[in-house]
Formats: sequence, structure tokens, C-alpha cells
Amino acid sequence: MAEVTLSNVRKSYGAVDIIHGIDLGISDGEFVVLVGPSGCGKSTLLRMVAGLETISGGEVRIGPRVVNDLDPKDRDIAMVFQNYALYPHMTVATNMGFSLEHRGGSKAEIAERVKWAADILGLAPLLDRYPRQLSGGQRQRVAMGRAIVRNPQVFLFDEPLSNLDAKLRVVMRGEIKSLHQRLKTTTIYVTHDQVEAMTMADKIVVLNGGRVEQIGAPLELYDRPANQFVAGFIGSPSMNFLNGTITAEGFAAPGIVLPLPAAAQVHTGRKAVYGIRPEHFALDENGVPAEIILVEPMGSETQVTMKLGETLATGVFRERVSLSPGATIRVRPDLDNVHLFAADGGQRLN
Amino acid sequence: MKAEFSPRRRVFLYGLLCVLLIPFVFPTWWMVTSSVKPISDIFAFPPQLVPERYDWTTYSKVFELQPFVKQYWNSAYIAALVTVGTMIVSSMAGYAFARIRFPFANAIFMVVLLGLLIPSEVTIVPLFQMFLKAGMVNTHWPLILVPIFGAPSVFATFVMRQFFIALPAELEEAARVDGLGRFKIFRKIALPLARPALASVAIFTFLHSWNLYLEPIVFLSSADKFTLPQALTQYTDAYGGPMWNIQLAAATLTALPVLIVFIIAQKQFVEGLAHTGLKG
Repeated sequence: MAEVTLSNVRKSYGAVDIIHGIDLGISDGEFVVLVGPSGCGKSTLLRMVAGLETISGGEVRIGPRVVNDLDPKDRDIAMVFQNYALYPHMTVATNMGFSLEHRGGSKAEIAERVKWAADILGLAPLLDRYPRQLSGGQRQRVAMGRAIVRNPQVFLFDEPLSNLDAKLRVVMRGEIKSLHQRLKTTTIYVTHDQVEAMTMADKIVVLNGGRVEQIGAPLELYDRPANQFVAGFIGSPSMNFLNGTITAEGFAAPGIVLPLPAAAQVHTGRKAVYGIRPEHFALDENGVPAEIILVEPMGSETQVTMKLGETLATGVFRERVSLSPGATIRVRPDLDNVHLFAADGGQRLN
Repeated sequence: MKAEFSPRRRVFLYGLLCVLLIPFVFPTWWMVTSSVKPISDIFAFPPQLVPERYDWTTYSKVFELQPFVKQYWNSAYIAALVTVGTMIVSSMAGYAFARIRFPFANAIFMVVLLGLLIPSEVTIVPLFQMFLKAGMVNTHWPLILVPIFGAPSVFATFVMRQFFIALPAELEEAARVDGLGRFKIFRKIALPLARPALASVAIFTFLHSWNLYLEPIVFLSSADKFTLPQALTQYTDAYGGPMWNIQLAAATLTALPVLIVFIIAQKQFVEGLAHTGLKG
């Protein structure tokens, strides 16, 4: 296990900058998730840590060593790829023991380590099978087995669950998390799925356009997003945004005035974006009017698409309510959970 | 889903296939049956599809008139060496062109491919002069070296490159993380996975070398060094006329291993053809 430190790490392809100087410290044993939309540079960053991409500038340290110029094999890392990258011509056991074999491990030692990893991941009955004879979930487990068998200092996961169906993804998410809790190995995990990021991470790094938007614990990002991008990216259904102006009466959005927390008055007269998560609306006779556009009962909750003034917004209500499209309801935003962002740049104001 | 045909349609289809079969099967049938006919019966009219008289001595004469066993061995070992050599060269070159980034890789590959456009008849004279200077004329070296580094190998390199290009990059990256260097990745990961492509290269290279005609008649002059296609032309009478039945007996023996291998490895042959995207 080791700390991983990125200092002003840059990546360029010719004149095009992909990663614009990223600083990131990952503590020993921490589970860090790099999350962001497609093309934000998260996989490139992971591959730079792995040594599969060259580093155009800055420094990557694993433990005390600067690894910028080291081959992947010399970095003491293990990586799980999106498509698992299992060697098709080798059995599960050979796949798992392959790296040890090439590092001069004895046959007995390799067999012992493979058995240990297979027992942890429930792969013991599958050791003689070939990857083509396995299901998606089993292949995923073998890929993880191949990573843990060597006891590396850092695990790198590159969107490992994106090829699985939704149900299996939830199962494997839990397995990866419990594996980390058991082994306590420093882990960097890349995903574009913010639910995966929220449920698995000790620390989330939100990336956008090759820059870090925010680093923090999952709930910290959820409760106090640093900017409008993070606010919109983290959370499902995503946060509602209304453009308007902060006034003494409240937040004046097109066709509606929404209540504001008292502290927001310091920004009176400023153009801003009013952000509120769907679950932070409550049905209240004294609330603001909202026309119902669509009702989606989910069982545990009801999602309602509604019109607040001229802006479409989503509300999530836990209580069983009888609502129908076209009707008008009254909703009250929870003032403790109202987020205000600058209209220019999207930085958090409150 | 399997297509279902009505009995009438099926009879028609099988009939059509039988007719289409004739141009493919007839030459082989004629070769085999004529190899045991007296020479006069070969030219009898109407043609004898099934021999009326059998003359089995043609086969013993094949061995009496020429060192046929030696020639058989020559063809076999040359084809084997060429096949192995081409597999080694083309797999390494194909891998390099597909997976290693080096300056002007595509341009160099294009230049290599141009080799396919030059007919062997054009290069045979300079090659002869070259091998003459090297003291290799009337040896088997030209028949081994020219295909390994010439057009057949270029074609094989193309086949291998196309295969390696399609190999997922993550497999190599996983191998790099697992501790393998470039050559080990090639040997332990890429090459074992390239078996279907290698099989097609082996099939085509072997057949090409086995059937090679122009190069042996240019480079070889002693009968004991001849290869089979060249040896077949040597069964002539005192006046230079071909001894057809003996020649056809020798041709039958020459085609035999290829036919046997084809019957045994029919599936691999067809897959190999499909793999190269070429017709036979």
C-alpha cells in the first residue's frame, strides 16, 4: 500500500492540452473515484498513473518514488480494464498467476496466491475454465483476482462495471467495495457514473475538461458543491437550476419568485442560478405554485416534472400523493438546501 | 435458422451443384485414372472415363526414371523451411507494423506492399545474378530465401498485420502491467492468439512453395536437386515427347499429400481462406 501524489500533472497531444495541471493527494488505503463526463480526461489520468500514457509535465509519485519514467511493471500497480483484458488463451488460474510467473514466483507460491485470491472472490470452481466460458460478472471477478493476486501497492480500475447489466453492476459495486475494505489497498477508480462514485468512494474527484472541479467526500460534494457543474453532475435525478436575479423579495426567476435563505441577501441585485435538489421540495399549502407536467410513481417515491414559472423542474416526494398532469400544486423549497451559483462562471455564492 | 427447401427445390439445387462440381473434379479424376492407363488409351476416342485396361507399372517407372524420392524430399523440406521461415518473419513484421509506433511506419508498409505488385518474372534475372555471385545457383537456398523475404512473405505480413491490428490494445496493456516487455508480449500474448492467422499463412505459404515452378527451373540444373513441379516435366521419351501416363502418375503422387492434408484439414483450409479474405 502507498500514497499516490499527483503534482501539476499535464498531458498534451501535440498542441492540444488534455490534462491541465492536476494536483491530487491520495492517502494510503484510500478509495478515490475519478468521475466526470466522457472526454474529461479521467481515464487518461488513470493511465498516466499506470504508466500506459506518458506524462507531458508534472510529477506522479507512488509512495516515495517519482514514477514518471518507470514502466508499468516497475510501478507496483495492478489495473482492471473496462473490457477486463483477460488473456483468452489462458485459463482463469493461468490468467491470475501470469504476472507472478513473470516476476519469478515459484509454482507453489503462485498456486497459493491464486487459491487465496480465488477463495476471496469465489472463483475456486472456475479456475480451469477459459474466459470465453465465463459470464460477464465472472470475468469481472477474474480481472479483480488478477489484480489482487500480486498484492500491489495501488489498484487502478478503469470503468470496470460499465459492461455489466444494471443489476450485476450493483452486486459488483458492493464486491469491489468490500474487497477494498478487506485489503485496504490504495485504489483509484474511474467511472462516469456518479452513483458508483457516491456509493464507493472515500473521496471523489470531479473532472471536467481536463481540470479538477472539486475534490471531497461524497456527501460533501452532494451537500455543498463548489460550482454549478459539480452540482449538476452529482445526484440523480440531477439538481434543478433556475436562472434569475437575487432580490429583496426573493429569487426572481422567469414567471416566479422563489424564497431565499436570509444569508443570500448580501448578493441582492446579482444575477445568479438557483439550485435545488428534487428531494428538497416539500408539498406545502403556503408554497409557490407549480404546474404538473409529468408524474412518475417509482414505488418508494414519486417523481414529478413540474413548471416553476417558466422553468421545468423535477420534484421527488416520498409520501404517496395523488397528482395528475395539468393540476397545480404548491411546493416549498427547503431553504437550508438552496444553492446559489454565480450566473457567470457558476461558482458557489452561499 | 436453417433454411428449409421443398423436395423439388432440393433436387434442383443438388443437380446444379453436381453440374458445377464437374470442372473442379474432372481434372483430378482424369489425372488419377489416366495415370494407370496405357498411353494409347489416354487419347482414345470416345474418352475412357473409367480405364478399360490398367497399367500399374507407370508408378514404378516414376521412381525408375528419376530420383523421385529425393525430389519429393527436396520439395517437402524446402516447403517446410519456407513455411516456418515465413511464419516467423511475417508474424514479427506484421506485429511491428500493427502495434509498434515508429516513424513512417505506414509509408514503409506501403513500400513493402508494393513488392506484391512486381511479378516474379521481372525480378528473376537480377535474383539469378545475385545468387550466382553468391555461389548459390544449383542449390536450394534461392528457393528458400526468395519466398521468405519476397512476395509470399509480404502477403503473409499483410495477413498478420491485419490480424494484429484487430487485437484489443488492452490485452497488451494488461501484459505490460503484468510485467512483460515488448518481445514477451509478442511471444506470450499476441502470437498464441494469432493462431488462426498463422494457420492461413502456413497453408498458403506451403502450397506456394510446393507448387513453385519458375524459380526451380531457373536456379536448379541437377536432377537430384529438382523439386516436384520441375521433376514432372522431365518424364519425356527419347524424342522429348511427354510420357503422359508416367507424368500423370508422378503428378498424382505430387498432389497426394496436398489432397490428404486438404481432406483432413478441410475446415482449417476454408477458415484460412475466409481469414485472408482471398479466394483460392
